[in-house]
Parts: sequence; structure tokens; C-alpha cells
Amino acid sequence: MVIDWSVAIRSLPILLKGAVITLELTAGAVAMGVVIGMFMALARLSKRWPLRAFATAYIDFLRGTPLLVQIFLVYFAAPQLFHFQPPDKYPYIAGILAMGLNSGAYIAEIFRAGIQSIDRGQSEAARSLGMTQAQALRYIILPQAIKRVIPPLGNEFIAMLKDSSLVAVIAMEELFYSGKLIVGNTLQSFPIYGTVALIYLAMTMTISRILGVVERRLGKSDIR
Amino acid sequence: MISVKNLHKYFGKLEVLKGVNLEVKEKEVVVVIGPSGSGKSTFLRCLNKLEEPNDGEIVIDGIPLSSDTNVNAIRREVGMVFQRFNLFPHMTALENIALSPQIVRKLKKDEAVAVGLELLRKVGLSEKAYEYPERLSGGQQQRVAIARALAMKPKIMLFDEPTSALDPEMVGEVLAVMKDLAQEGMTMVVVSHEMGFAKEVGDRVIFMDEGVIMEAGTPEALFNRPQNLRTKAFLSKIL
Repeated sequence: MVIDWSVAIRSLPILLKGAVITLELTAGAVAMGVVIGMFMALARLSKRWPLRAFATAYIDFLRGTPLLVQIFLVYFAAPQLFHFQPPDKYPYIAGILAMGLNSGAYIAEIFRAGIQSIDRGQSEAARSLGMTQAQALRYIILPQAIKRVIPPLGNEFIAMLKDSSLVAVIAMEELFYSGKLIVGNTLQSFPIYGTVALIYLAMTMTISRILGVVERRLGKSDIR
Repeated sequence: MISVKNLHKYFGKLEVLKGVNLEVKEKEVVVVIGPSGSGKSTFLRCLNKLEEPNDGEIVIDGIPLSSDTNVNAIRREVGMVFQRFNLFPHMTALENIALSPQIVRKLKKDEAVAVGLELLRKVGLSEKAYEYPERLSGGQQQRVAIARALAMKPKIMLFDEPTSALDPEMVGEVLAVMKDLAQEGMTMVVVSHEMGFAKEVGDRVIFMDEGVIMEAGTPEALFNRPQNLRTKAFLSKIL
């Protein structure tokens, strides 16, 4: 089979459409992950043991099992368990759901580390001024922790972007799946998968550049 | 104002406070001295419940400090100044001071800012109102921290080694602010080894060692005629 690069160029619009879906999936998953992660991080640091136990179990399960298996659980096993007929858009929903649940566990650990990295004296000072624990968290701890979690959150975004290729297994037409379809029709595996890889690379590099700028900005405002 | 009876505190198996008794009257300034590890900081932290005592009784301004007391109510009456200042680094000096009056005392923003500016003037830092803590010297940071505690209009102020983290040339400015405060009639408990301050401002000096109060007396009596052997040994090391 002769390598035909023109197929890659002709397929570019389809691949780029896939890349947009990949970005949507990733952004949706990380947004969901941030919400879940914040809740789980606070639950893990809670004084109430049932909350702590729940968060620990959640984080252990989602970090200790493969994302691929989790995607299958959400896509195939959940409809069976909850007796529902998967709607038309279910691959999309299941994709975001599985990735969001997964990244929630990782982001919980990022938030927990961020909160714990703030000097104990800060919350003691806040409490000694009569603030409740919730007020200390909101006005003193979280504003400082946010700055520290932005770099690891960016890394999580990049990791999620790459892992989103796994939802191809549930026929979600993101970047990798689109490439796979084209290869099925044209058999031009090298040009197509090569292009797919380059598009992923372009996305991850762009994000990490943006992160670099953000980090430098944050670093500056630390010195003030 | 403060009444402490038979206070015990353990960290795991280690008994840090072994039955501390102390009465502090209104407007009294009590200076606590003692070697490191003697429990003096822990004792101070028990007084506004940053540490939970294991046994004993604390009554602050008539409110018993039991485990079901509304802790925040007590903390509003008791200001605390820390060795390492613990200013909030993401806020200006003024914001540091004006935050808790707004969210705890429910003052309007302009009222809280007015209180903050007045307190900054009092500690001699009016021109630093809009600076962030990183831009302030240690002495200035500690003075802002004192102003921050005062903004809650506490009846009692606790000082936990307020000058030990400072360069020597900055100790004076912080002590001066504390002296003014004492002269205005603030009830104060100060953990500090500043003998000059204790002699000049203190009504009573307490020597703590091994989790108990070994000796107490007027500054003059305790420094010049210590009775306890341990007090003598300790004073001979630091004087």
C-alpha cells in the first residue's frame, strides 16, 4: 500500500471536527470534575467520618480502576442497572459522565493537596478572629489555595484530553474515532493516525503554553 | 475576667499541661515566661480554644468554655496575636483588618474600613494601608496583626511570643504598641521573654515549667527575689 498523504489533507475537516468534539468532551469532563473534586476534597478533610469514608472510597475506586472499564460501566452497565433505554446522544453523555467522574477523583486530590499546603497559621488566625470554619475556608484558605492548584489542574486537563481518545470504544465521534473511521475506508493508516497524533500534540502544546503564561502571572502576583 | 482551674492538656500520651490554675482580673497584664516546651503557648491557645483542653475549667468573661460553648462567641471577645503574624497574604493591610468585622460582626464595609484606618493610625501604619504583607517588615506586619485583632473589639488580648520572630531592631515598635494597649486598660496575657516589657508593663509575671505554674508574683519580686529553684535557674540563663 502506497502512502497517500492527500487522504490526510482531504480528511482534515472531518478530523478537526473530531478535535472540537474532543475539546468539548474534555472541557465538560473537567468542569464536572472540578465540581465533584471540590466536594470530595472538602469531604475528605471533613471532621465527620462518614463523609471522609465516602470520599475516600470514591477516590480509591476511580483512581484504582481503568478509565476504559469505567467508560464501559457507564455506557453499558448503567442502563442495565437502572433499567433505561439509552437515548440517541448517550455516547456523548456517557463519555462526559465517565470522564467527569474519573477526573473528579484526581481533581479531589489536587484540591486536597492545595488546601493542605496553606499554612495552619492562616486558619488559626481566621478562627481566632471569630470566623466560622466555612468563613475561614471561603475568605482565607480557598483564595490562596486556588492559585496553587491552577498548574496541576492544567496538567489534569491535558491528561484528560489525551485519555478522551478512549471514548472511541463507545462510538463517540471524537478525534481518534474519526481517524479510525477514515482509516477503515481508505486503509491509509500512517497518514491518518500520524495526523491525528499531530492534532493531539498541537492541542496539548497550546494548552501547556497557555498554562506557562498563567503560572508566570500567578508567580508575579505572589511577590507583588 | 479569666478564670482557669486545674487545666490539663495531652498531646497523645504526652501531658503538656498538668493542672494549671490562674485568675486574671480585668485590666490586668500577665506576662508568662518559661523554657520552651513548658506548655506556655499551649496554655495560651487553650484560652481561645485553638487547643481543646482535656480536663479542667476555663471561664472567660463569665462564659464557661465547655465543649458545647459557641466557640466563635468566645473568640470574638478574645483577640490573639501570633509569633509568626499570620497575616492573610492575599489581602492588603487594611483588608486584613477590615475583613472579620464585616463577616463576623456584620459591620457595613465603610464602617469596617473606618475602623481599620483608625486602628492603622493607632499602630502608626496609616501610610501602609494599601500594602500587601509581603511589602511590610516583620515589625510592621506584627503591628497590623495587632490592629487586626483589635478590630474585633476584644475584651482580652493574648500574645504568643509576639516579638520572637522579629529582628532585634523591630522589637521596640511592637512592644510600644502593646504598652499603649496596656495603658488603655486592655486585659492582656503575654507569653514573652522581654524582661523590660514585663517589668514596665506587667502587673504579674508567671513562670511556667513542665506544664505547671511554678511561681507567680509581681515582676519586681519574681525577677529580683525568685523563690523557686527552677525559676532561679531559668532567670540566670536569660538575664
